[in-house]
Amino acid sequence: MTEPVAPGTPPEPVSAAPPGTVAAALAIWQRAGGLAVPIATAVLAFIVAGLVVAATGHDPLTAYKDIFEGAGYNWIFHPSTDTAAAAPYNLSQTLLQTTTLILTGLAVAFAFRCGMFNIGGQGQYIVGLVVANWIGISFIHLDSFLHVVLCIVLATLAGAVWAGIAGFLKATAGAHEVISTIMLNWIAIWGASYLFGDNGPLQGPNPAVPVSGDVVPGAQLPVFWGDQGFQGLHVGLFLALAALVVYWLVLNRTTVGYEVRAVGYNPDAAAYGGISVRKNFVRAMAISGAFAGLAGALDMIGYLYHFGVLDVQSNQIGFLGIAVALLGRNTAVGTGVAAFLFGGLLYGTNQGLTSGVIPTALAQNVTYLIQGLVVLFVGADVLILYVWNARKKVRRARAATTPEPAA
Amino acid sequence: MAEADTILELRGITKVFPGIVADDHVDFDLRRGEVHALLGENGAGKSTLMNILYGLYRPDDGEIVVRGQPVTFHSAKDAIAAGIGMVHQHFMLIPVMTVAENIVLGLEPTRDRVFIDEKRAAERVRDLSRAFGLALDPNQRIEKLTVGQQQRVEILKALYRKADILILDEPTAVLTPQEAKELFGIIETLKREGTSIIFISHKLGEVLEIADRITVLRRGKRIDSVPAAGATEPSLARMMVGRDVLLRVEKKSPSPGDPLLQVEGLEVLDDRQLPAVRGVSFEVRAGEIVGIAGVDGNGQSELIDGITGLRRPAGGTIRVAGREVAHSTPRLMLDLGVGHIPEDRQRRGLVLEFSIAENVALHDYAKEPDSKWGWLFPGRLVERARRLISEFDVRGGGPHTPAGALSGGNQQKLVAAREVARDPKVLVAAQPTRGLDVGAIEYLHRRLVEERDKGRAILLISLELDEVLSLSDRILVLYEGEIVAEFDPSVSEEELGLAMLGGGRREAAA
Amino acid sequence: MSVRPMPDSAALRAKAAEPKSIAIAGIVLGVLAFFLVIPPITTRSIVGPIVVGVAAMAFGFWAVRGGAGRVGWGAVAAGVIGLVLGIVATRSSVGNLNQVFTASLIADMLSFATPLTFGAIGGMVSERSGVVNVGLEGMMLMGAFWGVYGAAVSGSWVVGVLVAAFSGGAMALVHAYFAIHLRADQIISGMAMNFLALGITGYFYYQLEHGGYLSTNVKIPNVSIPYVKDWSFVGPAIGNLNLGIWAAIACVPLSYVVLFKTPLGLRIRACGEHPRAADTVGINVYGIRYGAVVVSGMLAALGGVYLTDGFVHGVFNENVTAGRGFIALAAMIFGNWKPFGAFGAACLFGLSTALASSGRLTVYSPNGAILFQTLPYILTLIAVAGIIGRTIPPAADGRPYKKQ
Repeated sequence: MTEPVAPGTPPEPVSAAPPGTVAAALAIWQRAGGLAVPIATAVLAFIVAGLVVAATGHDPLTAYKDIFEGAGYNWIFHPSTDTAAAAPYNLSQTLLQTTTLILTGLAVAFAFRCGMFNIGGQGQYIVGLVVANWIGISFIHLDSFLHVVLCIVLATLAGAVWAGIAGFLKATAGAHEVISTIMLNWIAIWGASYLFGDNGPLQGPNPAVPVSGDVVPGAQLPVFWGDQGFQGLHVGLFLALAALVVYWLVLNRTTVGYEVRAVGYNPDAAAYGGISVRKNFVRAMAISGAFAGLAGALDMIGYLYHFGVLDVQSNQIGFLGIAVALLGRNTAVGTGVAAFLFGGLLYGTNQGLTSGVIPTALAQNVTYLIQGLVVLFVGADVLILYVWNARKKVRRARAATTPEPAA
Repeated sequence: MAEADTILELRGITKVFPGIVADDHVDFDLRRGEVHALLGENGAGKSTLMNILYGLYRPDDGEIVVRGQPVTFHSAKDAIAAGIGMVHQHFMLIPVMTVAENIVLGLEPTRDRVFIDEKRAAERVRDLSRAFGLALDPNQRIEKLTVGQQQRVEILKALYRKADILILDEPTAVLTPQEAKELFGIIETLKREGTSIIFISHKLGEVLEIADRITVLRRGKRIDSVPAAGATEPSLARMMVGRDVLLRVEKKSPSPGDPLLQVEGLEVLDDRQLPAVRGVSFEVRAGEIVGIAGVDGNGQSELIDGITGLRRPAGGTIRVAGREVAHSTPRLMLDLGVGHIPEDRQRRGLVLEFSIAENVALHDYAKEPDSKWGWLFPGRLVERARRLISEFDVRGGGPHTPAGALSGGNQQKLVAAREVARDPKVLVAAQPTRGLDVGAIEYLHRRLVEERDKGRAILLISLELDEVLSLSDRILVLYEGEIVAEFDPSVSEEELGLAMLGGGRREAAA
Repeated sequence: MSVRPMPDSAALRAKAAEPKSIAIAGIVLGVLAFFLVIPPITTRSIVGPIVVGVAAMAFGFWAVRGGAGRVGWGAVAAGVIGLVLGIVATRSSVGNLNQVFTASLIADMLSFATPLTFGAIGGMVSERSGVVNVGLEGMMLMGAFWGVYGAAVSGSWVVGVLVAAFSGGAMALVHAYFAIHLRADQIISGMAMNFLALGITGYFYYQLEHGGYLSTNVKIPNVSIPYVKDWSFVGPAIGNLNLGIWAAIACVPLSYVVLFKTPLGLRIRACGEHPRAADTVGINVYGIRYGAVVVSGMLAALGGVYLTDGFVHGVFNENVTAGRGFIALAAMIFGNWKPFGAFGAACLFGLSTALASSGRLTVYSPNGAILFQTLPYILTLIAVAGIIGRTIPPAADGRPYKKQ
């Protein structure tokens, strides 16, 4: 049926403007592409990285198989709980990384849902680490459970505050959150380097080494798979999984989530509906930072127990969260799966390689390559999809138009 | 006096956009040294026609003949090369750069082949200014200029590129009356210097004052071209507005009660901090529909924003059901019982990515029964949405369908449903049927009358004469930020059209 | 771009009385307040810094009242800081002061500022054309690595520099394609560049190191200025600086002239402010943006190769840039997208890094000096928070443009 425009309306040009916010853009994917697009993105990234590997004289297929086993994914063929064996151990380590990546991924995803780009996950993570370490080495006479809770709560709050600063600057001064969060990242990194460094206030017992003190055993999280002494998998994993659920619940079942999503999709309509856009900027950033701070806490009291200046400077897990969130399209399930994928990559290219087809050092950088490719392709595919969608709409509309007879 | 040779001809120009024929085999010609006005309502096809002439759009049919040679323009650059210049309604000026920089951009005079010759640029600008009577300081930044001065920069831009055919698109839409006078003086000078001018407008008075010939467009078709000498405002209005069959809604006569919305001396500034609403006073009583008619750009948007809380008024008072509103915010006005069907449903009224149920809850998600203590009950949202969908006959999906998947008509019905379901005392309907098909229009009109009969006070603001005449119990005309006339619905279209276009002011017999 | 008539004394006097000039004088006085107490002048009484600092503040307030807000408050800040630091410095021992404030401090400042300058000027060019480039860090890293590779393989530092520039430009081209043609989100695309660079340089570092492709003694040469290098103070300060440093400094006035005095520069700026206006006068917006982004990548890469092959000879470590690309971004913002402002910011940030390095402020507190590394970031946060006046990016910065 034709839908002639009411008389008096100025005609719109054929090509409509692209959506205004990142959230709206990603939402278009959700309507159009379904699961196929992120899978395709990941596959494409692996292929391109594989080409690089092949071009430099290594066999990509064997390398990927090696990484696969290194990540412990082959556990489904050798299911057992004995972490003395390779596959179970590798899987437990992958899940360890997954725990952190889920949370740093959520930190990016939640902000995206409100139309903001939280690049500060790394800094918020470090702030969480620092606070958890500080609490973990103090209050040593506290009951174990309380000690753990205190660590987690304060570290999460610290992450929230750290991100909240960026949200506050955006709400009051209109400062772009990308810039503020990048700056805050480095302030956190250098701040932590100071704290853990030579003669720093949080330096550990050995004055020659710029590493923090160890979290006391009373504040360490219990391990449920593997050995406490050999970096077993701690119960933090369940907290991370719970965080995925909380993320979904907040976004879809609370008024806070409603406001955050409305602002993310269409700030004009949100304002018209009575929602305070500024308040939500601060709120969304704070919640995002909370996720990242929690990641820091869980890592610190879960398996790291200490952290050094060198680690602070070289750690990338907050940044990997960006790739995780983008690949997972900012959804709870997607983030979980993407975190598992990148967790496997992160660990699989690190400790797990055995066949020697590709040296560890090279394989680790393959992870970064894939990370970069995923982010790059996600940035583009949303638009390709939108253009494809828009062209379909235009074709439909053109077909429906019947030109009026000549005067 | 203007010579009789034709410098420009448009023959049978046709342009189709999805869903609408913007220009339908339009003929137009321009003689050397004349001012030829292109007159018509919004959407008549004037701007589209000129954008085609300027190379920004490609015509689907027809040809352009410039100085006797048929031409095809692939871009504005080609049109400029052919001696055509255009001053758009929305200026293409760079605020942080100076007058001279904006004018010479793309054709900069150089020194030693590497550097911009700033002195020569300023000189050229000064020479041109003097020659055409447009006083401008080349080194002033655009953002410091008044709108009238900025427009002169745009004109100079065209003249610098040796344009002798100048298209002015609604040039007085952004000017004060004083500046408009100055513009007319400049146009006279340009004429004397041999420039031929196409003057697009919807304002009758101006067109009669400045033009030599007038061509009227209506709904994409050329109605007639007449010399300005013989034309009168009524004759032009008749051509512009036409004698169409109106869609009249059946309604009984109103029995209005107490005033639910009282506006006194309202003043609202536009985005540029200039007064857009200058002391408007009126009231809307329970059980009546007051329609505000007017051509786009006379302050309607700002009036709506002021009443619904989206813009802080600069002066005057608003009273809802007797309660004076001090600091209006959207939240406050909503809570006071002012409903708002916005004119841009996709930008303001709906979150397209939200489902219908979520959109229905846009104002009240934080209250019971939709939520309690922050926890949302999507089931209740869905229930309510289902009720509204069937009550308002919203088609195209169910409560879970994203609003963006609905057709325009159904989207508007959704917005109306939401607003009406909140049982507002006052309902502000801004352009409620823009972009809708006939069926949806009819439905909404009937609905608005129903709500009126329930005792609501309805303020209708529309650019559509038909709609205003059909729905309103009282009609106010908004022109340049002021209410200039009041009519009852038995007024003739011509008279109404005249008032809307700034001609003859009258007070209606009550 | 105002026409400047031949300066005569009346015009000069009028210019000097302008609020902006008074504010700049105030800033100079603020710096002077501190300068008095450090070597080589090293006055020990607090009267000096107090008087000069207060004068600076007075000039600043006067300028603010006259309307030069941002610069005026800068003068007030300079006055306060100069006064406070001046007093603090008089409390410190002369020996310590001599250790910190040596002539080589200037040399170190310029050295640290060089990659920042290259990056900031590069970023400015890109953003002035309307494309945000947060991938500067990645492009710098590419230059750092491939520059060493080029130098090692060819034995010539010139080839190294060229290879570096090429690598940065190539990466920038990818970013440009995604940002301009595919209209992807420019932040996402830029961050992708950073991740990719990390992966590519790390990967090929190991891959090529085994073949011994990366060891080299080839280095960008120093420039030894014949008589200057023997002057006291000035000599150790600038008499023997690396060529890369001079190249970076040269970029500043060069970019100023190109951006503000040539037709190309005008068009670039138009694309960044109002691309549609530029399009309607026939400017090729896509082409200009592509060019600007590629140039920014090349400049960032030059900053990187200086880091690995100018500062030291041919040494690459993983992630050697360590965030300098982001400091460069900060310098660009702090300098308000203007060449001299960006250079000033780069010097300021370079100074703080120099002070934080060993042998200087570590004299006072070995570990506390690290905190100085956060100064660039804190300053930029203050800048974007608008506390000292608004930072004004190009109007169309970051928004993809679509031709009709």
